[in-house]
Amino acid sequence: MRNDSSTWKVGIDIGGTFTDVLAIDTVGGEIRTAKVRSQTQDPVASVVSAFEAIGVGWPTVSDLMHGTTMATNAVVEDNLAPVALVSTQGFRDTIEIGRQNRRELYLLHVTPKLPPLVPEHRRVEVVERIGPEGQVLKPLAQDEACRVAALIDELNVDAVAIALQQCFVNAEHEKALAEQISKTLEYIALSHEMSPEPREFERTNTTILNAALMPLTAGYLDKLQAGAGTGTNVHLFHSAGGMASVQAVKKRPLALALSGPAAGVAATGKVCTHFKLDNAIGFDMGGTTTDTCVVINGNVQVGSNQRLAGRPVRQLMVAVESIGAGGGSIARTEGPAVRVGPVSAGARPGPACYGLGGTLPTVTDANMTLGYLNTERRLGGAIRLNRELAETAIETLADSLGRSVHETALGVYRVANASMARALRRVTVERGIDARTCSLVAFGGAGPMHAVALAREFGIAKVVVPKFSSVFSALGCLTAELSYAEQHTVRMPSTDWDGERLATLCRSMRDRLSGPILAAGRDAGAIDTRFIALIRYTGQSDTVEVPFDLPCDPAKLGADFMAQHKILYGFATEEAWHFETLRLTVSAPSETDLVDLDEARGDISTSPISLDECWFDARGPVATRRFERSALPIDWRVQGPAVIEDDWSTIVLPPDAVAWMDTSGHLLIEPGTDS
Amino acid sequence: MNTRPDRAVDPFVVEVIRNALTAIAEEMSLIVMRSARSPLLREAGDLSSALTDADGRLIAQGRDIPAHLGVMGSTAQEFLKRVPAQRLQPGDVWYMNLPEAGGNHLPDVKAIRPIFVEGRIEAYAVSLAHWADIGGAKPGSYVPDARDAWQEGLRIPPLRVFTQNGPDREKLDMILANVRGAEEREGDILAQMASTFAADAGVREVFSRYGAPVVREAIADLHKQSEAEMRAAIRTLPNGIYAGEDWLDDDGLGGEPIAVRVRIEIRDDEAIFDFSRSADAAAGPLNATPFTTSASVFYAMKVIAGPDIQPNAGCARPLTIITREGSLLQPPADKPVVGGNHETSQRIVDAIFKAFEDVIPTRLTAGSSTTSGLLLFSGRDPRTGQWTTLYEVHGGGEGARHDRDGMCAVRPHMSNVMNTPAEVIEANYPIMIEGQALRRGSGGKGVHRGGDGQVRTYYINGPEVFLTTMVERKVIAPYGLRGGEAGKTFAITLKRAGGETQDIKGKTHIRLQQGDRIIMKTSGGGGYGAPTNE
Repeated sequence: MRNDSSTWKVGIDIGGTFTDVLAIDTVGGEIRTAKVRSQTQDPVASVVSAFEAIGVGWPTVSDLMHGTTMATNAVVEDNLAPVALVSTQGFRDTIEIGRQNRRELYLLHVTPKLPPLVPEHRRVEVVERIGPEGQVLKPLAQDEACRVAALIDELNVDAVAIALQQCFVNAEHEKALAEQISKTLEYIALSHEMSPEPREFERTNTTILNAALMPLTAGYLDKLQAGAGTGTNVHLFHSAGGMASVQAVKKRPLALALSGPAAGVAATGKVCTHFKLDNAIGFDMGGTTTDTCVVINGNVQVGSNQRLAGRPVRQLMVAVESIGAGGGSIARTEGPAVRVGPVSAGARPGPACYGLGGTLPTVTDANMTLGYLNTERRLGGAIRLNRELAETAIETLADSLGRSVHETALGVYRVANASMARALRRVTVERGIDARTCSLVAFGGAGPMHAVALAREFGIAKVVVPKFSSVFSALGCLTAELSYAEQHTVRMPSTDWDGERLATLCRSMRDRLSGPILAAGRDAGAIDTRFIALIRYTGQSDTVEVPFDLPCDPAKLGADFMAQHKILYGFATEEAWHFETLRLTVSAPSETDLVDLDEARGDISTSPISLDECWFDARGPVATRRFERSALPIDWRVQGPAVIEDDWSTIVLPPDAVAWMDTSGHLLIEPGTDS
Repeated sequence: MNTRPDRAVDPFVVEVIRNALTAIAEEMSLIVMRSARSPLLREAGDLSSALTDADGRLIAQGRDIPAHLGVMGSTAQEFLKRVPAQRLQPGDVWYMNLPEAGGNHLPDVKAIRPIFVEGRIEAYAVSLAHWADIGGAKPGSYVPDARDAWQEGLRIPPLRVFTQNGPDREKLDMILANVRGAEEREGDILAQMASTFAADAGVREVFSRYGAPVVREAIADLHKQSEAEMRAAIRTLPNGIYAGEDWLDDDGLGGEPIAVRVRIEIRDDEAIFDFSRSADAAAGPLNATPFTTSASVFYAMKVIAGPDIQPNAGCARPLTIITREGSLLQPPADKPVVGGNHETSQRIVDAIFKAFEDVIPTRLTAGSSTTSGLLLFSGRDPRTGQWTTLYEVHGGGEGARHDRDGMCAVRPHMSNVMNTPAEVIEANYPIMIEGQALRRGSGGKGVHRGGDGQVRTYYINGPEVFLTTMVERKVIAPYGLRGGEAGKTFAITLKRAGGETQDIKGKTHIRLQQGDRIIMKTSGGGGYGAPTNE
């Protein structure tokens, strides 16, 4: 039973290394935050230890909203339940043939494709056939369905994926098979539900991954709910950037594929709304990977054609671009050239300056050598950084280049920024966005250290290091709306417009997606629906996103499409177009607003905690003031060169940059220009 | 301490500029894929993008089709031999496809844009795209029995199609009037133009940021870097003279197998690839241009000795590539070449691998399904009345290696174009796919087995569909290495609606009717090491 003492709303993000937690007492308004080590073997234990760290327990928690890398890790580490696959007769090898292209163009020793997700002996063919217009070319006989169900039963698998040809136009055969198989097996994933779109290889893979995650996820969620009892509402952060109910996630665990990064993206969206920023780039640089994303007009960008651990996944997910580079990336010479990454020192041994046995020069060691990191401070209260070890590591590289140690460290810093810049270019260019119109929202351990230099590289005029930047994904969880998104193939040419058909589809999708939100006790009036048309010219394959309202006016839709196409590609023609796909998002706003959350402040002071020598260019070190972030007075301007830090992250302000904390605790930076 | 006095520009700045230029080339490909109209570009990605310096020498290229690598390095240089730089204006985009002018085959049309910085040409952006039709005797512009270059389609010498005022309508219409699917083609032309437009802005940004002298120095440095990388790669090969040969099935006109022969001389950090002893020019469309030949050599050197070598003009310096005028690999300009681009180019790689069989066997793979396995279906879709052309390539078995089996159903070496999903084919063409399966047991035996090919069955669902084939490895099987057995050969069977069956040739053009089936079986890969008796 929920009781009056259940007043805490808790956002938790369980990452691979750390679990971040941020909580608010809805009565007293108190905020608590912590970072604890993740217990990878037992995610429920991670939740419990995060609770302990902030001094709450299940009885006092009214809402738990959480993101998790559980599903992602299961796929990446190939820790998946054994699955059987049911395919249309003649198509069981589709997952082995794939798209027949190879992963690496010039590495012959690498196997060209990943092994299929389901081995041959667990792939069952069924006699049936649907045509491209949904016509039944070969009916599914009842005894055939029984035969297949019996075969599946003998295979002794935990879950089954059913993926039949052309099922997205006519799902009757998939449904009939599921009905038969469900008599003996609980976990069944149907491809027309997972991805109601053509392309059998991608749809089948998506369905198999979902099936394979079902037993694991159900086990975890059952255990979590048992702990929560009836007094706590549990929601999970899904890959499209919102919260979903436990029930919805059990049916579609693959929705957790990008749960963690999506929470960071959603928090970026909140920051944009808070500052009324039109466009922003989220920049989350960690130790081994860097995630970037784009928020346009407050809307998180999502896409449906992505990959997870090299496997195609067709479902709506935030468009996050991950590159394998971060603070731990190792710098090396390759003949006369200098490269940074892709090899990383990881968390162990980590950068040389961690003193855990690493000796190779990393990006973090360059930052250490340049004086940005504080040797007096323990990283997260645990790791003490050693400048001499960093310099020794950089020196080996410097010697081979015939450069000074500091020139070399500056060089590594710049090359690391160049590869970050390439990742940022990808998220912006791919969407036709001019990065110069964006603000840069930097978070994660290393993001704020590189943000200003990166902003200069792009001509970005504003950098935001938001409050709670080191537990930013947990912030995303706490402030996320309940939301569900789905897309459906429409294929309607502008020359053969059927407004009635479109309106009916919009209404039925809206009603279906609103169901779980109403079931969660939210008011129908609070539900916001966004309709997006994915439109293309005849013959194109990529579509352009065009938002619209009901009733849909095709003339306006066409004009909006052409305007957007012109922005994206520099041209637009007057010819006919196709309404290819309808994407619909329903959401109910979060009951916790970003502005309600204030970070704990220390004693306010304009005095630096130390004065250090930092290098910003090859001319020599500059006296640089170092400030404690929580001590900065509101609106007080810090002129670079300076460093602002907290327990988990370091913000570097080169000369000419100016930073100040706004009334709500975000740090704003004008990057200035290279001198 | 080593002070390296030869380096004027900071090596870190060079690396930063390399990143920026490569990002621009990658962005160009992305723009073509996203805005083009032909499935071949948007689904299969049969395109490439490059930046060159003011002399037309390659600076940067995206992650593109290997067959285009050597070609793009020559396109701008050959263009400048024909069009003096003084004639170029800001905003120009020129189109060309002549195989003998830095080209490979007519369907691969290149768009070239001079990039001006402060009134001076500093770079060229080159966008190559495979047009699904470039005119000629047959839909899809593959004419298996072509005897001359003009049967293969529209030949475009350097032609200024866009100026800063937009398209030159007359020239555009002249092109569109000579190719099938004018609307789709116009979309592709615009997509190529758009990619060079973006490159123009990107390159000018880099120059304004670092200043022209620094960027020029950096580009020279990148060329030196790649040259050094290629020299280091060659040094990993033992000095000596090695010879290898492989064979094309036929010339498309019913002739005998055609030899591709290479004699490789490794001398410290230089390598000579002499193809003079290859066959004379083929009567049919299997000839390959010298540009295609250098693409194959460059690919082979990358995979066996230096996978990380950055593609630019510098890495060509230590390589000498000799072809004989009038031969298969340097044909007279009037000879047809359409199949040479993706069939003969593969056989060049095969010949090089065989030359190295006893020298560096652990770096090689046995013979793979080195053919595009191209089936081109065209016909009117009874559902829409529209004329449609499906350009479909088929992967087969990969050859085995010293430490693993070959992979099944994959595109090896010079190409990496994807298949079209059955569901997309059925929705857009008068064809049903009755099944797609592995061709089990088609890989050659060995200590490690070659990968299996695949079987795909096409059911014709329209009154009249034409099929063109451009398929190799039907006669000469993918070879085994070090005693491994060869893979099975390609096979195409026509099963008429009435029930009779016939074998279809690898290079032919036939008429199909409602109810006919084409059963396509791709070749298996060769095995590695002599199989033990079981």
